[in-house]
Amino acid sequence: MKTTGTHYVIAFLIILFLNFLLPRLMAGDPLTAIYGQEVLIQMTPALKLRLTESFGLDQPLWEQFFRYVFSLFKGDLGYSFYHKTPVLKAILSYLPWTILLMGTAFTLSGVMGVVLGIESGWRRGRKIDKSLLVGMMSFSGFPSFFVGILLLLIFGVELRLFPLHGAQTAYAGLSGLGLLWDILKHLVLPLSTLVVVFLSGDYLLTRSTMVTVVKEPFVLVAKAKGLTDRKIRYKHAGRNSLIPVVTATGVRFGSMIVTGALLVEVVFSYPGMGSLVYDAILTRDYPVLQGSLLVITIVVLMVNLMVDLLYKKLDPRTASAQ
Amino acid sequence: MSKQTIVTGIVLLVLSFFLLTILGCEKSSKHVKEPVTYTIGDPVGDWGYPSPYGMYPRGPGYIQMSFIFDTLVWKDKTGIIPALAEKWEYVKSENAYLFQLRKAVTFHDGYPFTADDVVFTFSYIKEHPWLWVDSRIIKTAQRVNDHMVKVHLSRPFAPFLMNIAGVLPILPKHLWENVTEPERFTEAGATVGTGPFKLVDYNKAQGTYLYEAYKDYYLGRPIVDRIRFLRINPETAPAALKRGEINACSVPPDIMQHMRDQGFTIEEEPPGWVVNLFINHKKEPFRSRNFRHALAYAINKTNIVQIVKKGHAVIGSPGLLPPSKGVWYSAENDCYEYDPAKARGILEDLGYSLGPDGYYQAEGQRLDLELLIASPTEEEFIRTAEMIKKDLEGIGIKIALRSLEAKTADSRIQNWHFDLALGGYGGLGGDPDVLRGVIIEDNFNSARYDQNKELVRLLENQVRQMSQEERIQTVHEIQRIYAEELPSITVYYKKWYWAHDGAVSLYYTPEGLGPGIPVPTNKLCFLEPH
Repeated sequence: MKTTGTHYVIAFLIILFLNFLLPRLMAGDPLTAIYGQEVLIQMTPALKLRLTESFGLDQPLWEQFFRYVFSLFKGDLGYSFYHKTPVLKAILSYLPWTILLMGTAFTLSGVMGVVLGIESGWRRGRKIDKSLLVGMMSFSGFPSFFVGILLLLIFGVELRLFPLHGAQTAYAGLSGLGLLWDILKHLVLPLSTLVVVFLSGDYLLTRSTMVTVVKEPFVLVAKAKGLTDRKIRYKHAGRNSLIPVVTATGVRFGSMIVTGALLVEVVFSYPGMGSLVYDAILTRDYPVLQGSLLVITIVVLMVNLMVDLLYKKLDPRTASAQ
Repeated sequence: MSKQTIVTGIVLLVLSFFLLTILGCEKSSKHVKEPVTYTIGDPVGDWGYPSPYGMYPRGPGYIQMSFIFDTLVWKDKTGIIPALAEKWEYVKSENAYLFQLRKAVTFHDGYPFTADDVVFTFSYIKEHPWLWVDSRIIKTAQRVNDHMVKVHLSRPFAPFLMNIAGVLPILPKHLWENVTEPERFTEAGATVGTGPFKLVDYNKAQGTYLYEAYKDYYLGRPIVDRIRFLRINPETAPAALKRGEINACSVPPDIMQHMRDQGFTIEEEPPGWVVNLFINHKKEPFRSRNFRHALAYAINKTNIVQIVKKGHAVIGSPGLLPPSKGVWYSAENDCYEYDPAKARGILEDLGYSLGPDGYYQAEGQRLDLELLIASPTEEEFIRTAEMIKKDLEGIGIKIALRSLEAKTADSRIQNWHFDLALGGYGGLGGDPDVLRGVIIEDNFNSARYDQNKELVRLLENQVRQMSQEERIQTVHEIQRIYAEELPSITVYYKKWYWAHDGAVSLYYTPEGLGPGIPVPTNKLCFLEPH
């Protein structure tokens, strides 16, 4: 465990340096990216100098990096060039919505995908398996924004069952249970879009693993022991099919938190980290990019750690292999 | 789990789906009487904190701030009108403006507005440069008495009323005098102004703003109690408008007529958003003026407007200013009508000859040009670029199209690493001084053409000419020379439309709001007409 810990720390430091360097390697600079587009503003030399100084762009790169690391240890993620607020404040205003949307989507699609995958794999070749398989394969082909627009048009515009935009009804003065209902109502369509998109992946992965596991001798033994079908499916075969799905989810989680949601956020005007990072790229907002990449890095490293620990529970053989 | 369980599971899921919506619907019908709220849909939503130094450097950011802060003068359908200043006169001998300020005006916190606030604001922007005003033009602001201010300029500046007095928000001295970092000033005092609305809430993540009427506004209480800005995807905004969820939003041209048929009022912006073909006149073959002319004759602008924009655009004027600029617009320039034969003639006169593959070449080198598609990379830009490529290849110039990420493209243009680039910007609707910014100034939207000394002289001169007639003549001459030199080719001016339900009479202010921002949400629309 000690060596694993060191590995994580080294990985973290390298990623920290890359997170600092990569945004600065992009063509274009924050000053032009943020202030260049509007022809009516008056970019006087005095203003340009002031902005360059406040962005720290006049300092040599190594000095900028050390300042960044230093303030990081103080818990200060810097000040956004574009949003003109502390980076931490900006991230914290978007992150909860992303966790709500993506977290729920991941959980729902994970649970549904695994259950359907187990059922399908158990009944491989039969009618229910075939129909589920065909259904899922067709779903996996749709891009997220297409599904989103489709659901929005049908359930939002035509049937008027759900709101057309936002995470909640702005300034409606709701609180308590009313607010909860409002947020849930706004959550349904973007959530359904993401679940549809994620579901097929988890399902197919579980099903294919299940199909191989079912042929293992221990399943025959379990049957011979007289255990119920359901118990064998879940407690014995199913549990052993989880490892690929858990690995895949762990790998996807960190990046999905940001990139996966962007198109859905645009279609539904939903707040989230996707839009924050996309805007930061367009405005070359280095502090926000560094901050968001840092958050993603920490999340990915933590999830990796959890997946590592989960392996031991799912398959005790891996513990002894270490 | 048996088949029955799966089916039951799915049925339960679907049932809870519908239960959620039904319950949700019921909740929304239990409403207390709502204040009169006017809701505007915006595709971006977040334009920054609406204080003078907190807003993002874009037009809509300025508009948000304009609801809260008043300026010395403002604009309505007729032109410049009094705002915080009742009367004003230009004292030619001193190159100063004397403003007589309105009495009995209060800030949102009840403090009285006086000349001290005006004097303070002018000196504050000298110390802390403000984005929309070049404070070097102001020499000093002098308090004459409690309600009179004399503003001395450092040089003659013709657009002072339009671009400074009508743009600069007056800050309350008592709240800003100790603020050393204005961009970081986000406490409640930062959004206290003399405007008709007070800020109630700004939510960055959701991109929403809520304003409340300031009942002690000097022009009377606004006709709505609240204004609400919501972030809404432009594809869904028309549906929201039809459902009555919002009162106004901008609509894409192709559904403009449909919205009109549905009974909505359409406001049409006087075109001032130009789609421009930038030419790298610093390198061959573009250094030759005649070559640039050949390009202009080769491009079928009428066709592009018809096919790409389906008529929702105005053909570009070679002198840069659009026809909607009225007296400032000069119509006498050669409009470079589509004439492929003439274009070929010019190329052949320049020494190019058709090669065996049908493309022009000189000294064995084929004419191979790259057309960069710059920001914003929307579909109409790509289509327009494709049509330009077709036109130019039609007369024998080989074109390679390249589409880059917006900011990368901008930076390549900024550093002169391009042949031709298709870009665009808004702002030509404001004061003609914008021509100086887009012809000689150093930014990627500018033609950056300073080779014609007379043109440069005229551009720097027009801003000093206090006589309108003289200035108009100069601006006409500027357009004439520009049309002759043609450092860039204006392809067309986009038409923008807003649809609203007529609850409030919105209108596009001639010459734009503030520094020339073309949106129909003038705060005056929300007041009783005078």
